[in-house]
Amino acid sequence: MRINAFTKTYGSRRVLDFPGCELERGKICAVIGANGSGKSTFASILAGTVTADGKVETLSSKISCGFMPQKSYAFRMSVLRNILLNGNDLKKAERVLNELSLMELKNAGGKTLSGGETAKMALARLLVRHYDLLILDEPCASMDMKGTIAAERLITEYAQKENAAVILVTHSLAQAKRMASCILFFDDGKLNDDPERMEEFLRFYGSDKGDPGNGGI
Amino acid sequence: MKTAFAKAIELILSGSPELLNILATTARMSLSSSLIALLLGVPIGILYGAVRFPGRTPLVVINRTLTGMPPVVCGLLFYLLFSGVGPFGKMKLLFTVKLMIIAQVVLITPIVIGSMETFVSGIAAPVRETAKGLGFNGVRTFFLLANESVYQIFSSYLMAFARAIAEVGAVSMVGGAIAWKTNVMTTAIMQYTNMGNFSLGIALGIILLTISLLVNIAVTLLQGRLSS
Repeated sequence: MRINAFTKTYGSRRVLDFPGCELERGKICAVIGANGSGKSTFASILAGTVTADGKVETLSSKISCGFMPQKSYAFRMSVLRNILLNGNDLKKAERVLNELSLMELKNAGGKTLSGGETAKMALARLLVRHYDLLILDEPCASMDMKGTIAAERLITEYAQKENAAVILVTHSLAQAKRMASCILFFDDGKLNDDPERMEEFLRFYGSDKGDPGNGGI
Repeated sequence: MKTAFAKAIELILSGSPELLNILATTARMSLSSSLIALLLGVPIGILYGAVRFPGRTPLVVINRTLTGMPPVVCGLLFYLLFSGVGPFGKMKLLFTVKLMIIAQVVLITPIVIGSMETFVSGIAAPVRETAKGLGFNGVRTFFLLANESVYQIFSSYLMAFARAIAEVGAVSMVGGAIAWKTNVMTTAIMQYTNMGNFSLGIALGIILLTISLLVNIAVTLLQGRLSS
């Protein structure tokens, strides 16, 4: 799956300069980098919620794309309806809800959930649908340890079962190591494959506070 | 004054045919105009609030201006358009409830549009982002936005209805306050007061205030649900 090269400029400031890359179906690609390095802009442009400079087509229009933004949103309806949204795969939805420990809340109002629960619900909403490319922007940032482990398992399973490529934006290097088969390292809006610079970044961000299976990369 | 109040209560309780006719005309006019305003105003309000398109800002400014349009100016405009010498004179709509409804729709639709636009502006970004992230098209996103705005839609309707039922300037000019035909509560209060028939005026005033109170209670309850 090809991601074409694109740039993004706000005013006179170029915030992203992406050279393009290939993604492999069934595999997870982690996107790491410091705050403001362009990770979320990259994810939003791929998802189509932000346009690249010159309205460049970043992905083939044949590729179906699912996107979980950094801030999850709950619609004014029950948790189960938030996930189904007129879809009818109830069994799949209940299995995902169960895995994410949301089963007891399935009839609760979406707006009554906590931040972590809303993130789980938003993830479940994507996991019950098929996409060729799933883009997740820090999906586990507000989840507890148990939720993070379940989410990681479900995302990995999704990539394999649906033969989908997954882009996982994360600040957790341990998570990237556990889940991803490739890493895109963003440095000041550019993809950086300089081993020395990456080494420096990893030394600086090497510990993942409170991360299950912590260890860094 | 005391006698007028007593007589007013007596008129309400006895169900005077004239009073009932005025109430029926008022209900027909204000329910129809507020419903049409809702059907027109909600989609436009959602569009203005959710979509950034060329010319949106001038349209929003024009709508805000129309929100404050004096009812008599609206009445004058429709009077001129539909009077015998006006371009639509042949339609013979002047001094009919139909034209009163049309004039009210023009008056209250901007209120619905403005109220929806303000609300939807606040929720559009995350709803649009989530819908887009799920691969939904514009139509599904619109319905999701409408679903998110359901209490605001009710609230806008009640605001529109309250404005319609209490409006006097436009309806008196285009309706003419003809007894048993186009006389509504507000025009009847003016008319009966001028004629010295205070009791009927007070009776109508009591009913109008009661309806206004009920509408405001409903709006307050809805606002409570919106903020919770």
